Amino acid sequence: MTAIHRANFFLKIGVGLVLSTLAWLIPEWWAGAALSALVLITLWLVGTPGLRGYLRGAALLVLLVMASWLVNLSIQGVPVSEALTTGIKLASRLVTTTAAFFFIMATTSPGAILAACSAARLPPIATLTLSLLFGVIPMLQEDFARIADAQRARGMEIDEVGFLQRLRFALARGVPLLVQAIRMAHAISLTLELGGFDLGRKRTTWREVGLLVDSPSPRHVQENDP
Amino acid sequence: MLTIENAAVAYARGGDALERASLDVSSGTRHLVCGAAGSGKTTLLHLATGIIPRLITPERISGQVRIGGAATATADAEAIFGRVGYVAQSVEDQLWDLSLEDLIAFPLENRAVPPARLRERMGELIDGLKLRPLSGRRVLTLSGGERRMAALAAALATRPDLVVLDEPTTGLDPEARARLVAVLNGPELRNAALLMSAQDPGSLRSCTDIVTLLSGGTTNAPERAATLWPEDDRWRAAGILPPRHAPSPPPAPEPGAEVFGVAGLASMLARNDGQPVLRDVGFSLRAGEVVGLVGRNGAGKTTLIRTLLRLAQARHGRIILGGQDAGEWSPARRARSIAYLPQEMRRILFNMSVAEEIAFAMTAKSGMARDPDVAARCSEVLARYGLADHAETNPFALSARQQAVLGLVCAEAAGAPVAVLDEPLLGRDIAGRAHLERFLRTARENERAVLMVSHDLEMIDSLCPRLLVLDAGRITFDGPTRDGWSSPGFGALNWPAPAPGTPAPVPERA
Repeated sequence: MTAIHRANFFLKIGVGLVLSTLAWLIPEWWAGAALSALVLITLWLVGTPGLRGYLRGAALLVLLVMASWLVNLSIQGVPVSEALTTGIKLASRLVTTTAAFFFIMATTSPGAILAACSAARLPPIATLTLSLLFGVIPMLQEDFARIADAQRARGMEIDEVGFLQRLRFALARGVPLLVQAIRMAHAISLTLELGGFDLGRKRTTWREVGLLVDSPSPRHVQENDP
Repeated sequence: MLTIENAAVAYARGGDALERASLDVSSGTRHLVCGAAGSGKTTLLHLATGIIPRLITPERISGQVRIGGAATATADAEAIFGRVGYVAQSVEDQLWDLSLEDLIAFPLENRAVPPARLRERMGELIDGLKLRPLSGRRVLTLSGGERRMAALAAALATRPDLVVLDEPTTGLDPEARARLVAVLNGPELRNAALLMSAQDPGSLRSCTDIVTLLSGGTTNAPERAATLWPEDDRWRAAGILPPRHAPSPPPAPEPGAEVFGVAGLASMLARNDGQPVLRDVGFSLRAGEVVGLVGRNGAGKTTLIRTLLRLAQARHGRIILGGQDAGEWSPARRARSIAYLPQEMRRILFNMSVAEEIAFAMTAKSGMARDPDVAARCSEVLARYGLADHAETNPFALSARQQAVLGLVCAEAAGAPVAVLDEPLLGRDIAGRAHLERFLRTARENERAVLMVSHDLEMIDSLCPRLLVLDAGRITFDGPTRDGWSSPGFGALNWPAPAPGTPAPVPERA
């Protein structure tokens, strides 16, 4: 894991917010597109896990945004070139924003978020909310993929079929995903209760938290501790 | 430390309730509750930890439960949960996406333990439970046995006064079981009260002082383990196989034609050192064969199954199904020839009723449950496995044990030439074993092959005439099971061979 991956959660959030704000303030379509391209290249260069999957989703998002704005503005009599640049501008803003926050989710574990929040002495309720907000989405993504594997393992042909059929099978994952989400919520609440998570008591952390969130080996630290 | 007096629990949806349970567990004693699946063990342990009624509210509850003198229903949460360490049977139900270190540290961080002391305690547990090789790993990526040991470390982190373990040997290989027993016998729990539940008491023998049998939601009087151990009839009366269950030698049918073959299989998935998890796996299955596969936790058994089903990519190798090269078959096409039953069936359920699950297994299509032929076959197979009343039940509403039986039903109804059973949990109580043996008998009669993956060596010994040992990415033994236990391949695992009828002496506590 690179130092950029291990950056403090709040530092990542700060950079993500700055990039998003910048994307929505830039007036020129080409500058917005360049910024989103720069963000995507950076994500590739730093080896963001799961980038390929994100790019597939982002491509679909760009396609839908471009198509809807082209149709919408063309109906209103706006020239195609102008409609195209408007579509690019909006798609770029969305890509920059989602890419920045995808990076945070893909590289920050719930443990690292808990550590950053605890070190910042945030109230436990804020710690819990942030950990769940950024930690649960990747878990649900993994469960979604696992359910797809379950469908395959039961003989459901979801790979060698058309787009609409694939979409229908993806929707069929909704019920087991819901069940899994409920179980996950139960597991987390059980862990919190049994683990003594108390909204009235500030937590400590075993990690070393600064600009980076590091995970020292407990044995190594034990040997060097007085 | 723990007192349960005349407790009764009932759920609105029924199942696993307690009729009348009493239990007394003192500090420094190790108490084992044994009973068949559905006898109410988990409900009893939930009562003992305070999870019932604080986190799970049953429809009806009566009786008294006290931990260290504090009533679990009314005392402050920290007065209860601060004194209890708990590991659930389905350990996934108490894990989320944390690293090993985060999981162990979590209860200490919540109690504001200073970082230096916190790391010291983590180091003790990681080294004490020999978890160092798992350092830095996300717990959800660990194998089932590794997860259980990680959860145990987290449960022990605060040095609880009462440790409650629900089926603690589930998913553990013999080496990990020995490690678990060493921890339970060791200084970490010397002054704690230990309460465990098990369907398979054999491996917990050396860390059990008192046994309470639980049958139909009612506890029997507690007895000294040494007294109860040889009483086979008493165990059977409680619905479970006795700890010294002497397996009957499996019949050795004439092998039929080869229905499945693997040659030179290597996985794309690699270990930290870059070596593929599976390097060169080769074996074949013949019609009517029941073959056991054993290997260490993390040896690659699940990777092998996933690669056979093409849910994980193979680096190289051939897979032959029904005489055809299945290398390019889609996962779904392979799955129609290989019925797969994972340890946790709920992971592969996605239909809205039991009947639809079975209809899907038979046809690989949704919405076929109303087809008259399919419905008739579905009713017939459900009746054979005692699930006739559950045809319209949502599969997620079934108990874990019923879901496991549903897995057998689906596999039988599918009629696939090969079935892969990953650590079936049905093998240790009498009713579950009967279902499993019925499934295997039907498979033999219909010339289907079954590959059974398990750490339960006694079960493998009694049900599988042929044994495969997976080690270092290869099959290191392939032959008759009785020869396997003395083979170099099995010897390399450093596991004790199953020795029915000759239980190890009960050692004194460390």
